[in-house]
Amino acid sequence: MKTLRLEFYKIRRRKVWLTMFALLSVQLVWGLWSMRDPREWELQSGWMSLLYFLSLLDGIMVPAMMSVLASRLADIEHKGNTYKQLEILRSAGSLYHAKAVCGCIIIAALFAVQFAFFIALGYYLGYAGNPDVKYYLLSYGLKVAANISLFLLQLALSMLFANQMIALVAGLGGSMAALLLMFVTTHSFLPWGGNLSAVLVWSEWDEATRISTFCYRTFSPVETAAVVCIFVWIVVFYVGGRVLFARKNI
Amino acid sequence: MNLSIIRTIKSERLKLKRSPVWLAFLILPVISAFFGTTNYMANQGVLQSEWYSLWSQHSLFLCYIFMPALIGTYCSYLWRLEHIRNNWNSFLTAPVPRLSLYLGKLVQAAIMIIAGNAWIFLLYCLCGRLCGLPGLPPKESLGWFACGILGGIVIGCIQLAVSMFIRSFAVPIGVGLAGGIGGLMITNQGWGLYYPYSLYCMGMRANNPHMTLDTDTFLAGCIVYIMLLSALSVWGLRRHEQ
Repeated sequence: MKTLRLEFYKIRRRKVWLTMFALLSVQLVWGLWSMRDPREWELQSGWMSLLYFLSLLDGIMVPAMMSVLASRLADIEHKGNTYKQLEILRSAGSLYHAKAVCGCIIIAALFAVQFAFFIALGYYLGYAGNPDVKYYLLSYGLKVAANISLFLLQLALSMLFANQMIALVAGLGGSMAALLLMFVTTHSFLPWGGNLSAVLVWSEWDEATRISTFCYRTFSPVETAAVVCIFVWIVVFYVGGRVLFARKNI
Repeated sequence: MNLSIIRTIKSERLKLKRSPVWLAFLILPVISAFFGTTNYMANQGVLQSEWYSLWSQHSLFLCYIFMPALIGTYCSYLWRLEHIRNNWNSFLTAPVPRLSLYLGKLVQAAIMIIAGNAWIFLLYCLCGRLCGLPGLPPKESLGWFACGILGGIVIGCIQLAVSMFIRSFAVPIGVGLAGGIGGLMITNQGWGLYYPYSLYCMGMRANNPHMTLDTDTFLAGCIVYIMLLSALSVWGLRRHEQ
């Protein structure tokens, strides 16, 4: 707990929150821009289409955001060359754990703000009815989990390599793979495919009427396995990163 | 002055020696080319303009979203060495004008943008041949290549300025990503020629079904942005405290 408090203390003036919310605000502006002036059929299926839209947005931006977050948390130690000092006070594993938990809290808060904003926007635009609480909570949980798995991968890279370029390029590459996967498949076992596998709403585009119909997705066994895979990645990246970092000769 | 520029370019090259920074420019276009070609092959019923259709699939997301962030990564790396420890002291006390210090970095960024674009076009040609497209890519693709480089240098200038002012390595990359995504919205509104992050995709004719470009406005925009942003960076360097 003390180590976790210290993590938040360390990032106090590093504007990590500001950076994350600045990137989130790009999503919000994108949302405001693309959801303005909805047509009647869009208002009717608004709450469902919102879940679909959020998944698309996150698929494009969030992997890179996670790499920025992990890099900001890890880079402070690389710059100050503080690993040796810190290891005298506490084990390398607990330092890694504190950074992981700190990042997870930021991610949970980030998506809570994202959901709150878009739900408020939905009400403002006049979407019919109310959001389906069960699906929205499930979507929030899966989104947080998918991005925690990405964050843990990025954290491992950022902690293991002092050169942050490696971690950030991996993040950008993953971001691109995640975006392009959306066009070719409905699920993916890759860590960057978590946001795709966790999509709860699917869209069907009718060429003739030029109207998208949205429906809640029915998961096939393979797709369910891809969702479970998100949690497997969380364990793998956390344990792997922690063990490798503890073994690293600092 | 001329000699000092050559010296700063050489010193920047030396700083980048043995650094794997070029790997990013190698890998990301490959991912884009792979998925772009797969998508083209799968949708040949709709995408019937052969080389032009293939280009639309190759360039769309790479140009709008990932190239700005990738150029941002490179520029961030160029400034990273100055931001760590006391390197600003030795950087600013080098016996060369501040303009030469800046141009050393800009030339290095421009070289990587040219190499990156050449790689994107090479992949485009290779994938086209592998798909069985007839002949060679259209002649005007050389124009896309040249305009893309110019637009890329504009992004390089912004990112160099951002990376110089912000000491973090990661934040300027986030700025590049946000700028690229902003470009997607602004280009859709028809204002792409006036927004610096859009100039790269405008030049590359990404998501441009008619492959047209108002070349005069584009060139004027690029030159104005390069000059303004370079002036801003040199001003920043002059005011920088060691």
